[in-house]
Amino acid sequence: MDAERVARCDPSLAARPTPGVRLGRWADKTFKYWALAPALVLLFGFHLYPLLSLLRLAVSHVSFVGNHVTITFAAMENLRTLANDWIAAAAIKNSLVFVSVAVSVEVVVGFALAILASGLGPGARHYRVVMMLPILVAPVAIGSMWRHLYNFDFGLVNRSLILLHLPPQAWLGSIWLALPAVIAVDIWHWVPLVFLVCLAGLETLPGDILEASRVDGASWWRMLRHIVLPLVWPALSVVLLLRIIGALRVFDEIVLLTSGGPGTATTVLSWYIYQVSFVESRLGYGAMLSIVAILIALGFLVAYNRAKPSHAGAG
Amino acid sequence: MFARMQRCLSAVAVISVGLCVAYGMPSALGQGTNVFLNVGKQSPITMLINEGPWYEAFASTVQLYERQTSNIVKLDANPYPAMLSKIRNSTRENVSPYDLFSIDDPWTLELYSQDLLEPLKSLDPTFALDSHVYTYDGAPFWNSRLNWRTSNGGVLMTVPINGNFELFFYRDDLFKQAGIRLPTTWDEMVADCPKLQDPPRVYCYVQRGVGAEGFFNPYLRNYGASIVRDPEHGDFTVLVNSPAAKKALDTYVTLAVKYGPPNEAAINQNDMVQLMAAGKVAAMTNVVAVWSSLEDPNNSNVVGKIATAIPPRSRDGAFASRLGNWEAGIPRNIPSERKRASLAFLKWVLSYDAQYQYAVHGGVPVRSDVYRSDLASRPGFGWMKAYLATAPYSYHDLNYLEAPGVANAEAIRINQAIGGQLSTAKALNLLAEDLYKIFLSTGRRTGKLPPLPE
Repeated sequence: MDAERVARCDPSLAARPTPGVRLGRWADKTFKYWALAPALVLLFGFHLYPLLSLLRLAVSHVSFVGNHVTITFAAMENLRTLANDWIAAAAIKNSLVFVSVAVSVEVVVGFALAILASGLGPGARHYRVVMMLPILVAPVAIGSMWRHLYNFDFGLVNRSLILLHLPPQAWLGSIWLALPAVIAVDIWHWVPLVFLVCLAGLETLPGDILEASRVDGASWWRMLRHIVLPLVWPALSVVLLLRIIGALRVFDEIVLLTSGGPGTATTVLSWYIYQVSFVESRLGYGAMLSIVAILIALGFLVAYNRAKPSHAGAG
Repeated sequence: MFARMQRCLSAVAVISVGLCVAYGMPSALGQGTNVFLNVGKQSPITMLINEGPWYEAFASTVQLYERQTSNIVKLDANPYPAMLSKIRNSTRENVSPYDLFSIDDPWTLELYSQDLLEPLKSLDPTFALDSHVYTYDGAPFWNSRLNWRTSNGGVLMTVPINGNFELFFYRDDLFKQAGIRLPTTWDEMVADCPKLQDPPRVYCYVQRGVGAEGFFNPYLRNYGASIVRDPEHGDFTVLVNSPAAKKALDTYVTLAVKYGPPNEAAINQNDMVQLMAAGKVAAMTNVVAVWSSLEDPNNSNVVGKIATAIPPRSRDGAFASRLGNWEAGIPRNIPSERKRASLAFLKWVLSYDAQYQYAVHGGVPVRSDVYRSDLASRPGFGWMKAYLATAPYSYHDLNYLEAPGVANAEAIRINQAIGGQLSTAKALNLLAEDLYKIFLSTGRRTGKLPPLPE
């Protein structure tokens, strides 16, 4: 007989549970917390601690002498610098434009290509292979390749324009064209990812629902809007989120194509953080800019969560 | 017959002795002597080095050192963007993985001021730079009281290993074809450009648009202007928006926009070299280290057509050539025997014969006697005469700890002027504001001029 049954038979025993029973009850009560402990340790170690360190740096001035680092509190100084920093303002603006334009075009074009490819049946797998190629190319190779493509004198882009009797353009040297040119490279690089995820989502659509709506006389547009999009939304929303985060972090293309120029036309936050932190060695202010970048990313996440349709995923 | 044999043998003996003497003749004759400095047996060392245009020449010199001395020097070659981070990380560890760094000149300010390098005389009190070794405007020395690089009261911290500064490169054939004399002033260059300009086949001049501050700043000196008043003595009054500075920027932008390729705002140093090597440009100012790329038959269409000279100046101004030299320094945080081995290697590298061989392999030597040697007359080394003539005018422009921030601010505003986003007056006024804020934030004694009329 276990301890509880004994206690029920003899109430005097219930008043004095054994140490083993007490320990067992306590373990039962707190088990859910113990089970979470490894995950919490990982969370603290890999997320919270670095974030707290970043916050500490963001309100500090960091200096080095020999092997010693001196960290002094300088929150107001860093905030004042941020408030008066025109380059940071330009970088934030460029980052927002980059994310908005690049991600919108990537999602629309990638989804459209996926719809076209899904109609090909078994032939879609060939397109899948071809479309994967840009994702497989190393960022350095992409930057080098596109820098040559955009070259004013020798580049294929201008050579094509000349063949079409159009004037060649200073793609990376014009303050009006440089950012669109870099966005175009990002679109070329990441549309395949959107395409692949959307194609996978489209291929799992139940064919009978689509057939039934066709029989009922639904137009192509109504099918897309009321059936296909809601069913594909879970996959689409994931790739949208990934691309927003990726576009906010863009760095390779900026370094390799424009170094943030001409002027500040393509200076984005990640590039500016690198300049401030590692070229100018202003670690405290660089950390402050990193916090700004995180807040912008959080803003996009909040907007994304609020914009999620409530019927997403409904069959 | 016996007498004839005697005469033949005597002649052979005389010739042999003569050859031996000539082979072993000291450097006064101007040739490499193959009698290298004996540094003794040393511990193996590892050197962090940049993968720049002069890397192959330095690697050849290291191989020669290893053959000569049986000592080992391992080179860890890295692309330029990775270098400073590696140096910072290495010097802050308990023991540095590197025993020697090749240090780009601007980085020495940070390393000297943070006391991360071993003063060389602490390893050998008798060590001093030979009188023939260029000191490149005091770059190897650090005066901690003035926070300034100067041999005047400064401690020897590094040695120069690559003597890079700017020269004027031009297509001798195009100039002769157009009947143009070598310009000595920017006014002459601007006046001559229409005779050379034939777009899109050939552009007269190419300027650096991206990261242009290093190439623009000598124009300031040419026109009698400067960025700040007297930084060596603590006066950081911003003078970059003076009328003389505006003339300098007007000239720089005119050559870029009117006589350069249309995408000047996007042109970096590599693009300049590519354009010149492709034969698309008649003239440019660039660092002497690019000479080897222009003379490489695998990469250049203009081999044998490029000549060099002192960069022009304004009519009443001074010649100027901005330094981009590389120094070699020893970190504090390595064992003593590795420090001594590193210093021994540096002593060997600075010797006449090592520098001669370095030049033969395409490097930019740091000894003036090598530039006066027979090498300067050999084909492919024509740049040496221009180097010798320009060396007295070479200088450092951003010699203070705020240099990276100042350079970034300059690069943006000059690029905006070249790209047409700002007029030269507005670019300089805004730059003056940017620099004034930088110097205020670092507690310098500063001020500014009234803005230029826009």
